Amino acid sequence: MPGAIAFEFPELYFTGLWLTIQISVFGLLGAIVIGTLVAVLRVSPIAPLRWIGAVYVEFFRNTPLVVQLFFLFLGLPLIGLRFSSDTFENIFRAAALGMGLYHGAYVAEVVRGGLLGVDRGQIEAARSLGLSYVQMLRYVQLPQTFRSVIPPLGNIGIALVKNTSLASTIGVTELLFAAEIVESRTFRAEEAFIAATLLYLALTIPLGFAVNALERRMLVAR
Amino acid sequence: MFLNPAIWGFFFEGLRQTIYIAVVSVGLSFVVGLLFALGRLSRRRWIRWPSIFYIEGVRALPVLLLIVYFGIKGSALFRPIFGEDFELPRFWAGVLGLSMYTSAVLAEIIRAGIVSLPRGQTEAARALGLSHAQTMRTVILPQALRLMVPAMMAQLTTVIKDTSLVGTIGIFELLRQGRTIYTQFFNPVEVLLIVATIYFVICFALSQASRRLELGYAPTAARVRIQDIALRDQAA
Repeated sequence: MPGAIAFEFPELYFTGLWLTIQISVFGLLGAIVIGTLVAVLRVSPIAPLRWIGAVYVEFFRNTPLVVQLFFLFLGLPLIGLRFSSDTFENIFRAAALGMGLYHGAYVAEVVRGGLLGVDRGQIEAARSLGLSYVQMLRYVQLPQTFRSVIPPLGNIGIALVKNTSLASTIGVTELLFAAEIVESRTFRAEEAFIAATLLYLALTIPLGFAVNALERRMLVAR
Repeated sequence: MFLNPAIWGFFFEGLRQTIYIAVVSVGLSFVVGLLFALGRLSRRRWIRWPSIFYIEGVRALPVLLLIVYFGIKGSALFRPIFGEDFELPRFWAGVLGLSMYTSAVLAEIIRAGIVSLPRGQTEAARALGLSHAQTMRTVILPQALRLMVPAMMAQLTTVIKDTSLVGTIGIFELLRQGRTIYTQFFNPVEVLLIVATIYFVICFALSQASRRLELGYAPTAARVRIQDIALRDQAA
């Protein structure tokens, strides 16, 4: 049976899978928070804030994620920033933060599109009713973007789950790293990688379906 | 040490490898992707289903997994064809991993481009007596591919970013060269900033160019659909 090797090395595959899930969840939460903040910067009425937002997006989108991970993993401790004294915790947090920073730039573009899609009349009405800019964002503009950003956000989520595999390059023993260890112990490359493949698919396929279902429900709700 | 021209020569050698591998991968992926896009649109089930399986299956996988797999097993895969002593050069193992993934993405982009053309184009061509193959070659593909140029350029930036992964299987591209330098001089912060800047300049220029470029006519719905595909795979 394909993937059966995972049960021969459960401690590697399933702890790997669990780490992959953890990095994905923390990374995605981070990306949503960072992305929303950056998107708000990008549509703000103050020009310097817009520039900061634009620089963030362009920088993180146009450099490879591995370079960013290496920077967080090697560079930050050298300039005196450590996430944790524990080596394992340290690389795990570097990986999760890296996922958040990189995908945050993509989330920012999606949310920005949503914010710009809100009818101008809504914003003007809210402002003329006496809401401050921040209140208007909080109660009028941001809630209306929620619906339009769900499908693209799902796609970023899928990309993020796949990208957690890059954490193996800085030494996080997630799913791909687990497969590499098993391969080096058994020389059964096909089995080792097919097992990892199936476990990745077990994460990304349901995510894809969930996004599609949500998308359809929202079409009906509208 | 950054005044030493040898260091910059070292970076440049890495950059050369990076660009070389990206261009070869994109070229190969385009050919394979076009075949799978046409396969997925085929009316014959025994062509369509395997194409869907390839495209959706490969797109759901991490690129790094494919690269590492070909890095380890690439030689063994080709031994039945090229003989017992065959060693797949690392460069080609990297190209295979990158191209397999990119071809699936390009297949989706090309398909979206073909589907987005108005039906009237196909119908008019068929009514004029062109065969299915002729319609594709002389009417549909020239228009669809022109539509695709910006999306494909955007994909090229993704591939350039992804080449930073083939360092893991021992190809001396830009990041790998940088790593060699900082293990020698213990200065990862400076070196990684330089490496990031080089990637940034290339990718930023390409992505700006792809945004400016709008060849041919595309209905808005098609643009949105293509952007959505691109989004999922560009973050990769």
